Amino acid sequence: MNSRRLVCIAVTAVLLSTVFCAAQERIPSQGRTFVNFVSASSVVVSPGKSAPVQFTFRVQNPYHINSSKPLTEELIPTQIHFSLPGEVALGRIEYPAGKLMAFPFDPSTKLSVYSGDVVIRGVVVAPLAASTGTYTIHGELKYQACDNNACYPPKKLPFTFNVTVGSARRSSHKSRG
Amino acid sequence: MNQRIMLALGVAVIVSALFIAKLPAHSQNTAKPNTNSQNQTDSKPQESPAPSLPPMAETPKTGSMAPDFTLTDMKGKRVQLSSFKGKAVVVDFWATWCEPCKIEMPWLVDLQKKYGPQGLQVLGVAMDDADDQAIQEFARKMGVNYPVLRGTEAVADLYGGLDGLPATFFLDRSGKISDKAMGLESQSVIEDSIKHALGQKQEDPAAGEK
Repeated sequence: MNSRRLVCIAVTAVLLSTVFCAAQERIPSQGRTFVNFVSASSVVVSPGKSAPVQFTFRVQNPYHINSSKPLTEELIPTQIHFSLPGEVALGRIEYPAGKLMAFPFDPSTKLSVYSGDVVIRGVVVAPLAASTGTYTIHGELKYQACDNNACYPPKKLPFTFNVTVGSARRSSHKSRG
Repeated sequence: MNQRIMLALGVAVIVSALFIAKLPAHSQNTAKPNTNSQNQTDSKPQESPAPSLPPMAETPKTGSMAPDFTLTDMKGKRVQLSSFKGKAVVVDFWATWCEPCKIEMPWLVDLQKKYGPQGLQVLGVAMDDADDQAIQEFARKMGVNYPVLRGTEAVADLYGGLDGLPATFFLDRSGKISDKAMGLESQSVIEDSIKHALGQKQEDPAAGEK
């Protein structure tokens, strides 16, 4: 083994470990947490029927996010979106009303915002021809957070929940408990 | 011979680990581990921030040269930051969705009027997904009397990733960062920073690096 090969090995090792360490370094540094997905209610629905579902998110202190209906057009509304399998559909989504709050950066203007726990409700609909089974639905909460003196770029929070499509008997049995 | 290889590898790994340890820590993640297994947090690997990238670089320090950039204004004209050397420059990163930015902008309009003749140039950099027309319309409504440039992720990275807006950098006549404000500051603080950038205010020796 000559010294040139040793140098080569050392340089390669430096490069590899630098890349590895840099990757490790970046993982925790990519931003702060504004909103957590807390839970979704379990959903059992019969083919041809609908069932309610609710999603709970928690806006971390000291942040707030715009409500689904901010008071000015430039502000980015909170919205929830889903990728649905063919076996289930989602009916109307009901967002909670925003709290009208003024913030230190402009005490004279109220904004429509969410803070703390935010519960968004919806209705899951299973078509009559839906096959029985449990389906994992992928959702995404789009929001834009601020605190008392700065605002942060819009973000998307992915989450999942399960919908079980079962027969009416199976469904009612499950709902009884 | 194997011992020599192991020795070389060991030394290399230690050297690179020491190098990495010297890199600036960018961690702004205040998220704590979620102990509730039913909870799903919006940990960053799941998020797709837009429009700017997560902060990968450190915010430029006061006293350092402001990173140069060339951006396009709302009329399609290329504007280079270093072309303003000799003037005091305020680089204000903002977005149409940023309420605190809307508070600051009329102050910058007034300060541009007041200090423009003394060599102040405010540059607004829109970090926005909105189209040029929407940005222009917004700037018009705000009465903006200074150039508004379309920001890019690359420029955001040069300025520390711009995690929050507004982010305002005050440059002296030589192009060095004389002050910066991350988030909204009061009008008087902004004016003081402008005076400082113009060389009208003695630097407070007690003031530390921000």
